[in-house]
Amino acid sequence: MQQLSLWEKCLDTLQDEFSAQQFNTWIRPLQIEDAPGSLRLLAPNQFVLDWVKEHFLDHITQAVEQHADEHLHATEVTFGIGSKNGTPETIEKKSVASSPSPLPSAGVFQSTANETPKSHAVYNSRLNPNFTFETFVEGKSNQLALAAAQQVVENPGASYNPFFLHGGVGLGKTHLMHAVGNAVLAAKPTARVLYLHSERFVADMIKALQTNTIQEFKAYYRGVDLLMIDDVQFFAGKERSQEEFFHTFNALHEAQQQVILTSDRYPKDITGLEERLRSRLGWGLTVAVEPPELETRVAILMTKAEQMGVNLPNAEAFFIAKHIRSNVRELEGALRRVSANAQFTGREITSDLVRESLKDLLAIQERLVSIDNIQKTVAEYYKVKISDLLSKRRNRSITRPRQMAMHIAKELTEHSLPEIGNAFGGRDHTTVLHACRQIKQLKESDRSIEEDYENLSRLLST
Amino acid sequence: MPLEQQLPLPIRLRDDAVFSNFFPGEANQATYQAVQAAAQGTGERFVYLSGPVHSGRTHLLQAACHSVQEQGGTAIYLPFAEHETLTPAWLQDLSGFSLVCIDDVEAMTGKADWEEALFHLYNQLQAAASQLIISSNVPPAQLAIKLADLQSRLTAGLVLMLNPLPDEDKLAALQLRAKARGLYISPTVGAFLLRRVSRDMRALFAVLDTLDNASLAAKRKLTVPFVKEVLSL
Repeated sequence: MQQLSLWEKCLDTLQDEFSAQQFNTWIRPLQIEDAPGSLRLLAPNQFVLDWVKEHFLDHITQAVEQHADEHLHATEVTFGIGSKNGTPETIEKKSVASSPSPLPSAGVFQSTANETPKSHAVYNSRLNPNFTFETFVEGKSNQLALAAAQQVVENPGASYNPFFLHGGVGLGKTHLMHAVGNAVLAAKPTARVLYLHSERFVADMIKALQTNTIQEFKAYYRGVDLLMIDDVQFFAGKERSQEEFFHTFNALHEAQQQVILTSDRYPKDITGLEERLRSRLGWGLTVAVEPPELETRVAILMTKAEQMGVNLPNAEAFFIAKHIRSNVRELEGALRRVSANAQFTGREITSDLVRESLKDLLAIQERLVSIDNIQKTVAEYYKVKISDLLSKRRNRSITRPRQMAMHIAKELTEHSLPEIGNAFGGRDHTTVLHACRQIKQLKESDRSIEEDYENLSRLLST
Repeated sequence: MPLEQQLPLPIRLRDDAVFSNFFPGEANQATYQAVQAAAQGTGERFVYLSGPVHSGRTHLLQAACHSVQEQGGTAIYLPFAEHETLTPAWLQDLSGFSLVCIDDVEAMTGKADWEEALFHLYNQLQAAASQLIISSNVPPAQLAIKLADLQSRLTAGLVLMLNPLPDEDKLAALQLRAKARGLYISPTVGAFLLRRVSRDMRALFAVLDTLDNASLAAKRKLTVPFVKEVLSL
């Protein structure tokens, strides 16, 4: 390609005109695109584009004029935004940022759209090969989701379609989704499997609208055997994307192609989604992934440590799991920290090293599970005053929050019942006991109480 | 070069912000090595650097950028605290870079558009196997982030702490920086500076600039009387 060799010559010239830093930051990331009669440069985003035009345009044009020969009719330089796959830059990048599983960079859809419409679209699953069923740690909290995911692999498109996973952040929804994709691919390597974040779908659609390739966009997404979209709550408020997704969904569903979706909440609770889409999301099987309990957290730590080749003693795993309870991501982060500290100081993982490495996290936990904090959080949650919680008032609107706060204080702190009673306006320990029983009972019979309890526990442990 | 002067500070890397010019002391040895490993592509792909102001976060972030560029990669340094010139659009599709460094991330927390842009950037860089280093004055769990998805991702990375150096290490750090300029600071002069000027590294390095220029101009070595004279102490 003439333009390519021309641009390479220009790069040589420009490299001498600027500091290495400027050159590497601004000029090197530019990619060239085929354009008749001109040299078209693509910047990764609007910001880089503006910057380059403002600061380097003259130099670039001069360099182009200097190197353009008679074979090239025009020496006009034009600019755009975008990126292409397999450019020297992405290849180079891999040598620097070596990772066990380099995934292809963005722009997959675009590169296929650039081909002639009838050519066979290349599907790149964008799956993380490390997220498999084998590396997924099972526990009570995710049993159901795991079993259902395995069912989907057995019978894609048939039994549970769509398969909808919801739950708090960092609990393994994405891992399960990738595990399904990897297993489907392992069973049938030619299967067209596609994983993406909802934002990517939106971005691809906008790009397709801008470049008049919406037909290719549709064909691309409707041609998959397994479509997995993460965090669909980000579709909220984006009407055009919802509509496009709605049609894609219908087409796939009709053709019995499997759809798997995740969200941080139950489909009905996603605000900003059109009703018709929301109801379809609940057509198949909807399963919650809950935060892991202590035993599972320990098992997760041990598994991850083994994968990382780190020698993590049982007692230390237990200590970390006991203190870090909000989600799996935080658990992993804690392990990374401990292991880096051990590696770079050449020490074994001991309880001292763990405490030292996680100083700040432990401090938060201790701060959060004080009775004061529980009272404050509960009062804010129910919109009552802390003084009411401590008062003698006995309206239902006050006693329920008070009982909830006592119950949580018993669950989350190490304080004795008399201490808890004392902290709630000098009440007797039998009052605390009664409160705990009451809430336990209500949690089973009244879904809203159960939700309150879950929300409060989450607030207090993140 | 006149063009370099046109570039506002935020984007430009300081020439002397390199790894060899950073004195970690014992307190920051592990952090120093882990950031270096990350920059060389042998460490974690996402690193979160937490430490108080003037603890050297910016220095390490820029050093990582320098290092990646020396290896032939591309790196971009984005200081969130300089927000007058920044918009969330900056974060769009930076996955072409081998390394993205974000300084003072706390400056943008609580702003929905920034949080979402950062969330997407994180996901894109993960997918593209690019490197991300974020710095802040607090650990990720203490950031006032509204988007829970973002917060949990930030806590999942390798979180490293930068601690303030003890005084004897500050002296060593000062001597290292001086040596790079061909200037010698005796232990006596160093101790005098720490006692009389400031114990904050950034202020100390600024004093070093002043002393370097004065010593060149007067063609004198750094002695306590000369330092007193130059700094009017």
